[in-house]
Amino acid sequence: MSDFSKALGVSASGLQAQATRLRHLSENISNADTPGYRRKTVPFRTEFDAGTDVSKVEVGRVSLDDGELERIFDPSHPMADETGYFEGSNVNLLIELADAREAQRSYEANLKMFEQARQMSSGLLQLLRR
Amino acid sequence: MDSTALSAVQNYSASRAATQPSKTPGDSMFGRMAMDFTQTLAQGEQVAQQSMTGDADPHALVQALAQTELAVETAVTVRNKVVEAYQEILRMPV
Repeated sequence: MSDFSKALGVSASGLQAQATRLRHLSENISNADTPGYRRKTVPFRTEFDAGTDVSKVEVGRVSLDDGELERIFDPSHPMADETGYFEGSNVNLLIELADAREAQRSYEANLKMFEQARQMSSGLLQLLRR
Repeated sequence: MDSTALSAVQNYSASRAATQPSKTPGDSMFGRMAMDFTQTLAQGEQVAQQSMTGDADPHALVQALAQTELAVETAVTVRNKVVEAYQEILRMPV
């Protein structure tokens, strides 16, 4: 395995991780109005492959944000307690959108690296052609 | 008796062993490279089939196809060089 194919593999793992992150973000956003929903946070960690000596990135265990749930006043809601409040989700749309934009930028950076590794390898082989 | 012609024949028969093909083709470095190449190709094909049936994700497909492209490009370039060198030898005036 040359360094170029290793770089391709590492970039692909980054793309995969950012795609998984975006999936969890969209789960958060689509459940923003679900009562009692806690937003998911996605940790990244390094996956070291001793056989090929490369450090890829992978998504770790998804954890739930145990922040305060939003209390919504609606006495007509079936889940409302005696004071007329019920617990909504703790999803903040602003944070989710900013996180999604960051995932997009990281995805683009990984795509750029993938493209560059490919260009460099074909540029190297171009030397042998006349 | 002309002994130089005799020694030329002897030299020729002594060096004939070097032109024999080796018995184990997968042992040489070139053989290993070829095995590597076919393995990369087979893996790319397998991932492509899996992604057609929905088993593999598109990132794996893109990565496998890029690896295959890299391997094929390398093999084609090396083959062109080898053929070129062979033709150069054929053109040698004997």
